[in-house]
Amino acid sequence: MPANEIEIRGVSKWYGDHQVLKSISTDMKRGEALVVIGPSGSGKTTLLRCINLLDDFQEGEIRIGGEAMGYTLDAAGKRVRRSETEIARMRAKLGMVFQSFNLFPHMSALKNVALGPIRVLHTPPKEAAEQARAMLARVGLADKADAMPGQLSGGQQQRVAIARALAMKPTAMLFDEVTSALDPELVAEVLDVMRQLVQEGMTMVIVTHEMSFAQAFAHRAIFMAAGEIVEQGEPAALFQDPQSRRLQAFLDRFKQGYKL
Amino acid sequence: MSIDFSFLTRVAPILAEGLSTTIWLALPAMLLAALWGVVVVMGLLSRSRPLAAISRSYVEVVRNTPVLVQMFFIFFGSGYAGYPVSGFVAGLLALVLQNGAYAAEIYRGGIRAVTQRLAEAGLALGLTPRRVFRIVVLPLAVRKVIPPLANQGVLIIKDTSLVATISVAELTFHARLLADRTAAVFEIFFTLALFYLALTAVFSGGMRLLERRLRIA
Amino acid sequence: MDLLLHSLPLLARGTITTVYLSAAAVVLATVLGIVLALLQLYGGIVLRALVEVYLYVVRGVPLLVLLFAMYYALPYANVRIEPVTGGILVIGIYFGAFMTEVFRAAVLSVPKGQWEAARAVGLTTPWILRDVVLAQAVRMAGPPFINTCVMVVKGTSLVAIIGLADVTYVGKQIVERTLAPFEIFGAVALVYFVICFALSRVGRYLEGRVNYAS
Repeated sequence: MPANEIEIRGVSKWYGDHQVLKSISTDMKRGEALVVIGPSGSGKTTLLRCINLLDDFQEGEIRIGGEAMGYTLDAAGKRVRRSETEIARMRAKLGMVFQSFNLFPHMSALKNVALGPIRVLHTPPKEAAEQARAMLARVGLADKADAMPGQLSGGQQQRVAIARALAMKPTAMLFDEVTSALDPELVAEVLDVMRQLVQEGMTMVIVTHEMSFAQAFAHRAIFMAAGEIVEQGEPAALFQDPQSRRLQAFLDRFKQGYKL
Repeated sequence: MSIDFSFLTRVAPILAEGLSTTIWLALPAMLLAALWGVVVVMGLLSRSRPLAAISRSYVEVVRNTPVLVQMFFIFFGSGYAGYPVSGFVAGLLALVLQNGAYAAEIYRGGIRAVTQRLAEAGLALGLTPRRVFRIVVLPLAVRKVIPPLANQGVLIIKDTSLVATISVAELTFHARLLADRTAAVFEIFFTLALFYLALTAVFSGGMRLLERRLRIA
Repeated sequence: MDLLLHSLPLLARGTITTVYLSAAAVVLATVLGIVLALLQLYGGIVLRALVEVYLYVVRGVPLLVLLFAMYYALPYANVRIEPVTGGILVIGIYFGAFMTEVFRAAVLSVPKGQWEAARAVGLTTPWILRDVVLAQAVRMAGPPFINTCVMVVKGTSLVAIIGLADVTYVGKQIVERTLAPFEIFGAVALVYFVICFALSRVGRYLEGRVNYAS
């Protein structure tokens, strides 16, 4: 079993002439909870979306559990895109939770959670339904299994989204600012679930603005700005004793906004 | 199979005799319909209940009946009532009545699309409702409204073909006349189709230029 | 008024023809619309180009011209088909272009986030369409679909010009004989109004159901 769950090596991405990721490299061990913070435009969300190839990257390598994601090198050393089937298979091993939940509105919470296992893991429907109920119970929504997304609050929808990702039994999970679109009083219920996941040893990459959460529960934090990793280390150290001026300025702005 | 395109040079001039009639019907129809639509939408949005109801009924009737039937109604009805109108006038009237109703709906949608919030921002600045309409809502609504109106214009050009049935000598009428006399029907209607494609292309192109100058699209 | 009563049986038979033409043309147009929309969205370059040409031609040529073309060409064609069938074919193919646009817009209006969430779970395009996108697209397509159906019904009136005995043709015949345009064409208009208005009501109801509350 490889020591690193996720390996990111020299990943660069351009939007036309604009370089949004500048040769990013970092590794994540199994069970590690990594938080990525930074101002908007820093590339943190783009990096996250490259991990499961929802966004393409032009240079570099990403490995999930040792296997190359999205692109391999052929015999001549040229970059070759893997087949859509292989990419889909690897995506199934990663769970992703989105800022705007993206629940399927025409399906109940239960069906949302069970769709992946039924179609991708080929779990028999009855078993998938049972597992889905268990997942919903795990995020505290056992009684909402038959509710439609339109009937749920933002916090509940996001928890269903987490259950949907968990149902695929992922080896790692990706969180894209999952509390940014929630009313403040609904944020806690989602962070609670995430805290449990960290404590259960899930490998997680979390892009977030929730500094207190990051300080309390993350194992490592990365500060990105203008497409680069500017500083990284233990969250406590990063937040209390920022070394770089850019991080200091970023955190100052947070304190000015009464968020820290 | 080699196609001899020389028929175009023979057929086109004959059809072209109807071209000016088509254009003389389409353009006034568009302008009058656009103007009539303003009147109708004022009725639709009026605060007087009866006026709004009449406008609504008019729009619903016109939208749910075919233009052809409306043309027949006016053409034959006018003669019976003692004030016969030419096929051209009947066609023009029907086109204006029908497309004026559609224009009114387009205007209504355009006004609605300028959100409540923008209007409220205007009111909050201290502008009177009338000035808010003139300064905030109208300019934005006009921009919103031009693309759908351009679409309607294309439909009007195509609907002018219907007046051929009430003996108006436009494009389609000439084509039919020719087709009744010769066997070259494929060539005739192919050429006719080209004429309409050209008309709608020129019109759409013009509208797109307008949209770009007004910085809409 | 007497005349109206006398004309009812004829008008009724014309109405049946109108309804039949409309229904058949709608079915044809819908099938065409779905197939061509999918081709336009997911087909290869050649297929996409063909669909674009078809759409461009139909959008720029009047329905009447197409009907005339069929009407005059029919005697020369080797294929013998009933005029009614010909009318259905032309009207169906004409409005098939409108339907293509309706379905294409509906699929495209499904939010990108739905695609991303489905991909993130490991689903591939055909499955995403089947389980996630099409169900939502169909709901969004309801109102414009109904609008196009209303256009089809109104469009069938043009077959009167090529001698098919729909309600407009029957009406014109009666008026030419009896010179009572207001009553007869009024009745014809009423027939169309009832059909189209009823369809629009269905469309209005569907519009309300685009939300997924339950």
